[in-house]
Formats: sequence, structure tokens, C-alpha cells
Amino acid sequence: MRDDLERLLERLIHASVAERVAISVAALFAAILVGGVLVFVSGGFASCRAGLDLAGVTFCYNPIQVYYELFLGSLGHPLEGDWSPMNYSLATTLRQTTLLIFAGLSVAVAFRAGLFNIGTQGQLVIGGLLTAVTVLFAASYVPGGFVGTVLLIPIGVLAGAVGGGLYGAIPGALKAYAGANEVITTIMLNFIAAGVASTLLSWRFQDPDSANPQTRAIPEYAEIPNVPVVGFSGRMDFSLLALGFAVALMIGIAWLLARTSFGYELRTSGIQPKAAAYGGVDEKRMTVASMTLSGALGGIAGAFWVLMEHGRWLENVPALGFDGIAVSILAGNNPLGVGAAAFLFGVLSSGSNAINTATDVPPELVGVLSGLIILFVAMPEFFRMMGRRYADVGGPERTRSTGGEADD
Amino acid sequence: MSEPGTATGGGAGPNEDLAVHLDGITKRFPGVVANDDVDLRVERGSVHALLGENGAGKTTLMNVLYGLYEPTEGRVLVDGEPRQFDRPRDAIDAGVGMIHQHFMLVDTMTVAENIALGNEPKKWGGLAVDRDRIEREIADLCDRYGFSVDPSATVGELSVGAQQRVEILKALYRGADVLILDEPTAVLTPQEVEDLYGVLEELTEQGKTIIFITHKLGEAMHSADAITVLRDGKSVGTVAPATTTREDLAELMVGREVLLEADSDPVETGGAILSASNVTVENDRGVEVVSGIDLEVRAGEILGIAGVDGNGQSELIEAITGLRTPDEGTVRFDGDDVTDWSRRRRIDGGMAHVPEDRHEQGLVMPFDLVENAVLGSQRSPRFAHGGRIDWAGVRDHAEDVIGTYDVRPPTADADAESFSGGNQQKFVVGRELERDPDLVVATHPTRGVDIGSTEFIHERLLDLRREGKAVLLVSSALDEVQSLSDRLAVIYEGEFVDVTDPDTITEEELGLLMAGERPSETTKSEASDLVEGGDR
Repeated sequence: MRDDLERLLERLIHASVAERVAISVAALFAAILVGGVLVFVSGGFASCRAGLDLAGVTFCYNPIQVYYELFLGSLGHPLEGDWSPMNYSLATTLRQTTLLIFAGLSVAVAFRAGLFNIGTQGQLVIGGLLTAVTVLFAASYVPGGFVGTVLLIPIGVLAGAVGGGLYGAIPGALKAYAGANEVITTIMLNFIAAGVASTLLSWRFQDPDSANPQTRAIPEYAEIPNVPVVGFSGRMDFSLLALGFAVALMIGIAWLLARTSFGYELRTSGIQPKAAAYGGVDEKRMTVASMTLSGALGGIAGAFWVLMEHGRWLENVPALGFDGIAVSILAGNNPLGVGAAAFLFGVLSSGSNAINTATDVPPELVGVLSGLIILFVAMPEFFRMMGRRYADVGGPERTRSTGGEADD
Repeated sequence: MSEPGTATGGGAGPNEDLAVHLDGITKRFPGVVANDDVDLRVERGSVHALLGENGAGKTTLMNVLYGLYEPTEGRVLVDGEPRQFDRPRDAIDAGVGMIHQHFMLVDTMTVAENIALGNEPKKWGGLAVDRDRIEREIADLCDRYGFSVDPSATVGELSVGAQQRVEILKALYRGADVLILDEPTAVLTPQEVEDLYGVLEELTEQGKTIIFITHKLGEAMHSADAITVLRDGKSVGTVAPATTTREDLAELMVGREVLLEADSDPVETGGAILSASNVTVENDRGVEVVSGIDLEVRAGEILGIAGVDGNGQSELIEAITGLRTPDEGTVRFDGDDVTDWSRRRRIDGGMAHVPEDRHEQGLVMPFDLVENAVLGSQRSPRFAHGGRIDWAGVRDHAEDVIGTYDVRPPTADADAESFSGGNQQKFVVGRELERDPDLVVATHPTRGVDIGSTEFIHERLLDLRREGKAVLLVSSALDEVQSLSDRLAVIYEGEFVDVTDPDTITEEELGLLMAGERPSETTKSEASDLVEGGDR
């Protein structure tokens, strides 16, 4: 029995990319199956006027309808009549995808360097605020219209990256030069970020015309524009340009890690710090550099949240940074996988809205369904990570049998 | 039925005297024949050495016996009975135990807990572990075989030699009559090796049978009653140590004549490439482990450092290679004071380093050999252009190293961790020596490497010396430092007790120096001359 488990684990560790994708898809179906039963049974305890009567019990929820809404509702019901790809649900899905790509990349880069950055949220808060403030300030010096767009958006994104990057560098430096554990410091810095941002807001940047804690709105021409003709409408708070930028950044990060000296040193530091030191990597500088890069990506997430979604900074920042951790783990910390994982999260978040509008299933139960999907899809990757560690400490008494490796 | 070459008394024994009989074992892996029709007859109560180079198929054969692999063809007989082992548990039940090169012990648990793990005697109807009984049984075992191990000691606090005895006890506790030891001496100090020989003797006297895998001629000659040599997966003969010589065995093993002693003709030495003065280093716990060491290595010279592990060699080497900052003293390299130079600058300046620990330092285990080939050169102009690594060039380089240093299997795309220790070492040594260095700092360069490749590595080191490079060599293999070095420094508790001429010193004298015995005053003054580089 134990041998069989070990054999399975071994098999999982050495699974190819195609197999891993197949496993993820299978896990998705398993989650739907379990969730479906759960929804169906829960329906037996709810009260409703119409439902399926079985053995004297009325089952109120139809699992098929729930999953139909979750997956197809998030795309705006493509199988129904008069569907347009530029619908609001799909825009919500893709907006969430875009922001989570940035947040997921932030966490993934740190993970690959062997650092657990829980501070993406704080970096996002600081980066977003700096974006809004910088754009508001710069807007009085640049002309409006097209020129303003071309100038202000890069300035805003850059400000977000710088703000997040510097805020990420703090825990990096604390770790490198004072030995402070980054998990602890980034969590603490999340609270500090929220407090500092709130203080700055009330000190200087509060929108005088609003009772909500938020900055003034940035000029409309400084918001990320939509692509004409194929783009989404401006009211949907989503731009294909932003998604394109996120995908390009994702490819860029993958390239950076795989092809460059810096990426090589970063990965080596993450896997085997002693080998990195032996290979001439300055460990302290690498810690600061990778946390800065990670923070900058978190800051960019904040910048796009401001420039694309709200057109201003609000004190009530959604927990994108924390979702980024789940996205990164789901993607096995692989930059290219982050895109797919972020899309799944986008679908779940937008699809949950669709369920809430179309059915009587309570939002809490919808949360459970999303959670099940994430849990099931992430579990194989999690077992791979743990299995690797297990194999490293010499768990199974099994010499690795990789083809030609035949002896001693 | 008789086996002419077998050593133990009276030549041929009837089949039931064979504790283990492997009959025509063939084991194929996709693309490789690891064992090709191998016969092995091990007599009860004997020590049988299985000798061969890295990759000769020794471990595969023993994994077949231990139930880890199923043989493609052939039979396994234990005590004269044909057996089929599907997993180690079956082999253990049949009285076959295996002690792996890397111990399978839980560091934080006690000796007794480790030994009983998985076989705990129960009390209170299976609700609790009967600790008293475990300790009693272990004490009995220790008495019987003359082991001195404290059953309540925590395994992580024991020396490597003691941990190995715990592994042996574990096998005995499970009722093993046949013990397979995989390269048991690889991790031991010379003194611990002697102790191990004593243990083996005691075990065979009590009727246990030992099969012991090694690639070291001396060990096989010294401790075995019979030696079976494997080469390229085939058994090339079984001999008795009394009727053979080291040279004959080496030839049998490698398939050609081997120079056991590298021979170093004198080379004109040039100026000092590396010099250290008054280097004092503290270890991680703040204890001074290197105390005011002076040394100098000239161009065209090999300076050997001999000493028992843990006498400050590691920290000294780290201070020289830039992995640790010395607390006092200066290090000069190629005329520059490099004491404050980063590791990166030293690498770029032409310092190659074969590190002590290939698993932690020399190789990134989950990377393939292509990625490992650029470790240390990831920013050098040879492989990096404008921050980008030229992976095609790196691949060519990796394949060159693999070919030149006979890394097996010759696949650059396999992860470093999938290679055997000896082949990992060959790759690291190859990468470092082919860096075109001015100075090579090599720690245990041939540890775990078979004699064919050891010979090659020695040749390459001597080539570098001939080309006027400087080599600083640390090794716990005395014959290695003795035969290669031009001058030999002996380190004890962080100080050089003596710097001698390796050609005139005897192994006994060297042993005394390594134990901290000071040389007499007259030789000492001579030695201090030598420290300055020995004018020629």
C-alpha cells in the first residue's frame, strides 16, 4: 500500500507538461462532480416554490444550471442568442484576469527566488496610490487628449512600478542585511501600507467632493483606452490593451528567467542558495533585487487597477495581492502558467456574479464551489511540490530510474 | 559446481553453503544493459567485495538482490532457494538487508527509535510501543556484535561512523543474515574505516555474510575474502585477494593497464600565483578554526593540504575562494590583494574551484547538465552577451565536458540529481578545469570517482601544472596528495603543523603529523623554508 503510494508520487513528480495539463483538467471535472453533489444535496435543505421532488424532499438547486452559469455565464452565455464577445460578463472575467496576471507574476518571481512574498497586497496598495497621485499631479503639466494619454499612462504605470518596487525592496533589504524573515515582514508591511495610504489620503489626497475615502478622479484621457472597433465599451472598465500588456509582460518575465544571466542567478538562488554563492551570485543583492522586481510587478497591478478599473485610487482595495498567491501556486510558479491560472480565477469571480443573478443559490455556497475548484486543481501541483521535497530527503528507498541512469 | 577462484577454505562448496547465489542476472533499462548475465556466488560467513568503476552495474545488481529491481533474466537464490523479491520488504523477510550510501535515518529520533521504526514491538494490545523491549533487544545486539552505541542518543548528534553502525544494527534488528553495504567507506574518516573493518570481522565470525560494493582497490584487497569484478555490466572474474595484485585487479576493472601512481616530473616554477598570510577564519558559530595560516602556491606547482576532515581545511579554502571573509590576514592572487574581492571577481580573475560538497555547492541538483555547465560563468563574456546567456554555446560546452571527462550516461539534458555521485563529480571537475584558470583550488577532486577517471583527472591536474598554472589540492586520500603534490602541508586544528616534501615522508610520519604531532625542531626550520616556496 505504502509502496503503491510512493510509486504514484514518483509518477506525479516526473509527469510531463502534457500530463500535468491533463491532470488539471481531470481535477477540474472531479471538483465539478463533488461540488455538483454538494449543491444538489444543499438544495434539499433550502425552501423554494419549484424544484425537483424526490422521495418527499424538494431539491431546490439544479447543479447543471449552477455550473452552466459559472462557466458560460462568466463569458456572457455564448450559446444563447444575440451573444456578443464584448459583453459585460466577459469584460469582468478578463479584467480580473489582467489584474491577477500582474499579482500572480509578482508572487511567482519571488517564489522562484526562494522568497515567499505575501506583501504583494501592500505593494499593490502603495503602487496604486502613487500611480493615482502622480497622474493627478502630472496631468496639470501635460496637454489633454491623445498626447495626454500617451504620456500619462506610461508615467502612471512607471510610478506604480517604482512605488511597489521600493516598497518590495524594504523586506528584501531587511532579509538580506538584518536576517528578518520575509514572510513576517511582508505581512506586517501590508498593514503598514494600508495605514500609510489611509493617512496620506486624509492628509492631502482625499477627493473633497466625496464622502468615500478616495482620491480625485484622474482625467478620462489618462485611463487606459479601449481598442476601437473590437474593443469593449468604456463603461466596462476593461481594455484589451491592458490584457495585451499583461500577456507581453508574462512572456517577458518567462524569458527573463529562462534566458538571462539575472534569471539564471535568481532561479539558482531560489533552488540552492549555496550553489548560487559558489557560482558568484551576491546573495544579499539578489534578495533585494528579486524582492524589488516582485514588488514592482505588484505595483503595476495597483497601477492598472487605478488606470483601468476605477480611474482613481480607493481606500477599499480588493484582495488581489492575496489572490495572486493562489494564482502563483496554481501555476506552479511558472510565469506562463500564471496566465491560465489568472483566467480561471477571473472565470470563477465573474461566474459567481452570474450564478447570483440567475439562481437562488446563496453566495456562500458559490464561494464553496469556487474553493473546491481551486483546491482540486491546485492539489496535484501541491503534491508535486511536497513529493519532490519528500524524495529529496530520501523518503522512498528507491534509486531513481531515469532511463540510462543505471548504476551507483 | 565448483568455483575455482573463490577464496574461502577448501575451494568449492556445495550449493547450500552459498548464502547468496545470483544466477545469470541480466537487467535491461530502456537503451542500457546494466547487468549482462552476471553470476555471483557468495559463501556464508564471508566478506565478498563487488568491485567496479562508476557505472559498472554494481549497485543495480545489488538492487536486484534487494528487491528494488526485477531482473530481466536470471534467478536469485538465497540459502540455495530460488526467490522472487518484488520489494525490499520481501528481501528483508528472507534475511537480506542493505545499507545505502546515504543513510536512511531520522536525525531527530533516537537510535532506538530509528532501529525499531516500522517494526516496533507493541504492548497494551497494540496501543503503545514497547520501548523497554526495544532498548533491551538493541542492547543484546550490541553485546553480541561488540558495538558501542547508546540506544537513547539522538541520531543527528552521532558521528557518521556511528550512524553507519546504527544502519547496520537496524538491518540486524530486522533479522538480516546477509548485509549489503553500498560504498560503506565513502563517507568515513580513515579511523572510522578501520572501525568498520573490525565490525565486519565480528559480523562474519558470528556467521553473517557481507557483500560490499566498492570501487576502491585497497579496501577490497584489505577486507574481502573474495572479490568479484564487474566491468560494463559483465562479471569479469572472481578472485581471492591473496592470489592477486592491485595492478592486476585495476586492469581487470578498467580493461587496460592503469597507472596507479600519477607521476609528476619536475616543472620549472614561476612566481607566486596565490599567497595567503596570517589568514585567520572563524566558522559560523564564531569559533576560530583557521589560525594564522601562511601559504604560497607558485605557477607550475601543486601544493597539497593533508589533514583529517574538520581541521579548518574547508574554512581556509572558503576564505581563499571568496565564499567566506577571513577575520584577519590577506589573500593575494596574481599580484592583487583579493581579500575583499567578491566571489564573482575571483572567478572572473581566473580562479577555478572544485568544491567540497558537490550536492550543495558544485551542482544545482534540479538543473540539467546544460544549465549546470554555466554555473559560475553565467556572467562571463564567454557565455553571456548583454545580459543574455548563449545557451547554444553552453550546450556545446556541456557536451565537451561530458565527452572529455567520460560522464555517464552522456546526456546533457538529464538533471544533475539523476547522475551517480562519481559522474556528478567528473562533471564538476571538468567544468572547473576547462575554465582556463590560473589557479585551481580543488577539494577532494576524485571523491567517489572510479580509478579510470581518477587517473584522467590526475593527468589533467598535472597538465595544468605543466602549463604553468597553480594548483591548491585538498584531499583526504593520502596517496592522492602524496603522489600529486610538489609540497605537502599538513593541517591540524587550524594550523599547518608542517610543510614537507611528499616524496620523502612516509605514510606513518604523515599520519602522526595529521594527528597533531609536531615535527622535531630541526625539520621544522627546514619546513618553514618550504613554506616560502622552496627556492629552486
